[in-house]
Order: sequence, then C-alpha cells, then structure tokens
Amino acid sequence: MKPLRIALTKGRLEEKTVEMLEKIGLDCSAVHNKGRRLILPVGNGEIEVVLAKANDVITYVEHGVCDLGVVGKDTIMEKGGSYYELLNLGFGKCRFALAGPKGTDFFSGYRAKTIASKYPNVARSYFENKAMDVRIIKIEGSVELAPLLGLSDAIVDIVETGSTLKENGLEVIDTVCTISARLIANTASLKLRKSEIEALVEKMERVKEEQA
Amino acid sequence: MKQNHKITPEGTHDLLFEECLARREAERRLTEAFRVRGYHEVMTPGFEYYDVFTQSEAGIGQEVMYKMTDRHGRLIVMRPDSTMPIARLAATRLLNQPRPLRLYYDQPVYRSNPILIGREDENAQAGVELLGADGLRADLEVLTTAVESLFSCVPDFRLELGHAGFFHALAEQLSLSEDRLEDIRSAIESKNYAALDQILDALPASAAVDAMRRLPRLFGGEEVFEEAEKLCATPKAKETLSYLKKLYHAVQDLGLGDRLMVDLGLVQRNNYYTGVVFTAYTEEYGDAVLFGGRYDRLLEHYGCKMPAVGFGVNVDAVTKILLQNDEYPAVQEPQVLVHGDHGQAVAALRRAAKLTAQGICCETSLCETREEALNYAKSRNIPKVEFVEGKE
Repeated sequence: MKPLRIALTKGRLEEKTVEMLEKIGLDCSAVHNKGRRLILPVGNGEIEVVLAKANDVITYVEHGVCDLGVVGKDTIMEKGGSYYELLNLGFGKCRFALAGPKGTDFFSGYRAKTIASKYPNVARSYFENKAMDVRIIKIEGSVELAPLLGLSDAIVDIVETGSTLKENGLEVIDTVCTISARLIANTASLKLRKSEIEALVEKMERVKEEQA
Repeated sequence: MKQNHKITPEGTHDLLFEECLARREAERRLTEAFRVRGYHEVMTPGFEYYDVFTQSEAGIGQEVMYKMTDRHGRLIVMRPDSTMPIARLAATRLLNQPRPLRLYYDQPVYRSNPILIGREDENAQAGVELLGADGLRADLEVLTTAVESLFSCVPDFRLELGHAGFFHALAEQLSLSEDRLEDIRSAIESKNYAALDQILDALPASAAVDAMRRLPRLFGGEEVFEEAEKLCATPKAKETLSYLKKLYHAVQDLGLGDRLMVDLGLVQRNNYYTGVVFTAYTEEYGDAVLFGGRYDRLLEHYGCKMPAVGFGVNVDAVTKILLQNDEYPAVQEPQVLVHGDHGQAVAALRRAAKLTAQGICCETSLCETREEALNYAKSRNIPKVEFVEGKE
C-alpha cells in the first residue's frame, strides 16, 4: 500500500502538525532529524510527510501528488482552487484585517481608495462584498510601509498581535475574517482512500478537542 | 514587439508520435464503446455564439470562456463544453427525430484557466448524451455505457453516485435565500465542514439542519443509504434515496463491486443537474476522469422541453494513463526501402504501392544512388532495401 502523503507548510504549522501527529501516537523522529530531506516517513511508514511552502502545499494537493495538506486559511482564501477542506485544526490562529493610519475615517468620502496588500484576492473579495470600488496594489514585503509612504490609504494584511501596526501608527479598521490552519484533501484521494483518511481525520479531531 | 512565433499559447501544446498514438487509442476505445451501444457521432462547431452557453445554472463562468466577435460584432466563444451545443442541436435540428436520441461526441473543449497551475486550456473530451428519455432504464443505460467505456481504457477506477434531488429535498425544508443556500452548497461541495458548521449553527435547530450537516460526510458504501434514511424522512428525500439505491444495486451487478461508491454530498453544479450525478476516479489521476448526470431542464433553454442524461470522459487524462501503462500501438516503422534507379522513380512508387497494398509499411527512397539508399536504410534501421532496376 502506498503511504498516505501529507504536505505540511514549513515552519510553525509544520511544528504544530507534527505535535498533533505525535499525540496520535505516530513516530515523527524522521521529521525532527530531517536534515535536508523533504519527504519523510512518519509512523510505521503508513504516512509520508512532505515539507513545502504554503502555496505549494495547495498545488501538490490539487494535483493529487499529495493526498492531504496542512495550510493556513489565508493561503486558501488567496489561492482558491478545488480540493476538500476537511478540518479546522484550530492552531495558527490570526486574522485578516483592514488597517489604516490612526485616526482617519477610511469609509468617508467618495474618492476611490487605494489598498496595498500581499493578498490582492482577499482584498478584492472583501471590497466587492462591500460594493466598494478600490484600487488594489500588490506588495510583496512589509505592507505597513505603503500607507506610511503615501502609496495607499490602507492595507489588508494578516494581524496577530497588532504591535507592528501600532509601532507604525496604524490601527485596525475592520476585521476581514479569522484565520487558522486547515487540513485539505485531494478530491480523488478522499474517495479512493476514504477509510484511511477518515481514520486520521477522526484522530486529529480528537486531539484538537482534547487541546481545547 | 516581441514575437511569439516559436511557441504555443499557454495551456496548449503539440502532441508528438507516442502521444498521438495514445490519444487516438483512447479515443478509439471510448468511441467504440459508445458506438456498440447505438450512439451516433455528432460534431459541433469549434466556436459558437456566447448565448448558447449563458445559462447561469450551467456553471460555466464567462471568465473561463475564450471570446471573440463575429463580423457583425456578435459575441462568440471557443466551445467551452460539448453538452450545451448538443442540447441546442437536439432542440433544433433534431427536433422532429424519433426519440430517444443517442448521440456521442469526441472533440476538445477550451477553457481559460488561471496561469501556471498546470492545467490545459485545450482539453480533449468524449462522451454521450441520451436525450428524450428519463427513468431508471435510461439512467442505467448511460451508467452502463460510462462503466464500459472507462473499463476499456482504465479498468481500475472507482465510480461514485449521487443525486441532485437529495440536497434539494433538504434545502426545501430550510426556507433560506438563494444566496445562503449557495453558501451551504459550496461548503458541501468542498467538504468544508468548518464553514458548513458556521452557517448551520446560525440556523434554528431542526432535523433538516442536522441532515445538511452530515451531507458532506455521507459518502462510502451501501451503509450511506441507511444513515441518510434516518437523517431525512420527507417523502421526497425518501423517494430520491430509494431511486438511488435501485441504481446502486443495478450498477453493482455490472461487476463493479466495492469500487462503486455513493456520495450524497456530490452537489457540483446542482442547479444544472436534476437527478442522478456520477463521477469516476483512478489512482493515476488527481481529479475526476469521468463526470456526468441527468440534466432535465437544460433543453428548455433552447426552447424544447426534453429530459436528458449524459457523461463526458477526460480524454487527456485517459491518454496520460495509457501512455504511463504503455498501452498504445507501436509506432509503425517502415520494413522496406524501395529505391528506383535513375529514371525509375515512378516505377519505384508503383512497387511501393504494391507493398503497402499488402499491408507492408514502406518508404520510397529519395536518394540519387543505390549506395546512398543503402546508407540511408542503415541509418534509419530499415531492414530491407528493394531496387527497381533501370535500363543501363
């Protein structure tokens, strides 16, 4: 039997997922001592962990080269695609927020606003729902810079504690939505390997509930 | 200006040699399975008026269609789907034909996909449409044809059955706005349990809400029916389930055994499909290789009420699998090189024609001398050289 292949978003989500897998009772020593390897056996070889960047986790799962994936809701919202979203894992919590210079009334006036964001699709759908006509500029790095430099009126970005915003004289205007890590599945895999995937999801759900 | 004269557009590619052989082999096997069931081939134009595809229920977004205008400024699109043109055909030119109509197609569709995600914009599809017939026999015939055609190419597949009516039966009891129902449907489609819970938690508790919550999990073997029956006891839901069960058992008898599944959460394009829906998956391909269902309302769009059911096979996916499994005829290599001496070019062609008539693949030599011809044959691994002698 082919091992069930799970793509994990490198970094914090990877650590949290591995913690979860260990609580289920799967041996994750190979992941801890990974060296430079990117495909690692977990448990007794019934599962294989693949480490990838968030966007690539979705790509691998969508194409079915990985059966499952752990990725943030932020990436899911920005990238879209067709796959199953099986479980809210409950960790990696933060939120998408609209933020602007402190003390300004963003929603006033009739001038079309300019928004800087690393997540242009999230920003677009947020303003579409509000029926607001905005100009969206994609920024790759520290988005907080854009309003400070006068490029944009506000930003749409991930906010965890809000301290970066505060230090730069920005404040949250509105919460777009909350974010956490999700377990996604390839559509064909879920059908072809139903019992294995369901068993794993059930165990992960139990760990999640215990932690809550 | 940068010229693009050496490349093909993104989402398209050239097929060479083995790829062509595998593609034709896939088409041959699939269409043969359609033909022996009495289906007749139709070909529809590569581009048609946009209006043919603008049924909002059909689920083809305008953003995925390749558009142009004709000489009069009317919007035309590259064929994004074959079922709708065939429905148009059935409702117009075939209106007075005795029914049912058994039609099949084998032609590519064109859709504009987001760039760099590895999906082709030109996708070869083959499928059948059974128009003007409804009921168990019609559904079963199309399912049988689907199973048989896929079986001829990729024997190891899983087929899953669903029914658009089950979701509708539940939705009716919730009395929600269209938009809200669409949110629920799309959460079920993507098996997004978290999003579904969020929507349903906001509703007053009822049996229908609980059933909706379970819907994406209602897939698997026969046990699904039992659970579904417990969850929803309205006459309509019961009727849908018992119909699906009948189909399930009938298809199981076709020899699919445990490779047949039920998924009541199969709610893709649920306003388009009106009855049974089905998809097939294989290990070798990460997406559905076959998809179909009953769409009794589509033909109204073309001014003719007619029940219809059909399916399409992703021929590109099947081709890929045949290639992987080396299941295509060998490239035909010439067995003989026919060389005509000076002045004997026509005689050589005649000799070659005689050989090909016997089914022997041969090349005629384009060389000037016998020596060149021998060297050429050697370099191309042609085992035999025949000379047509000239008068010295």
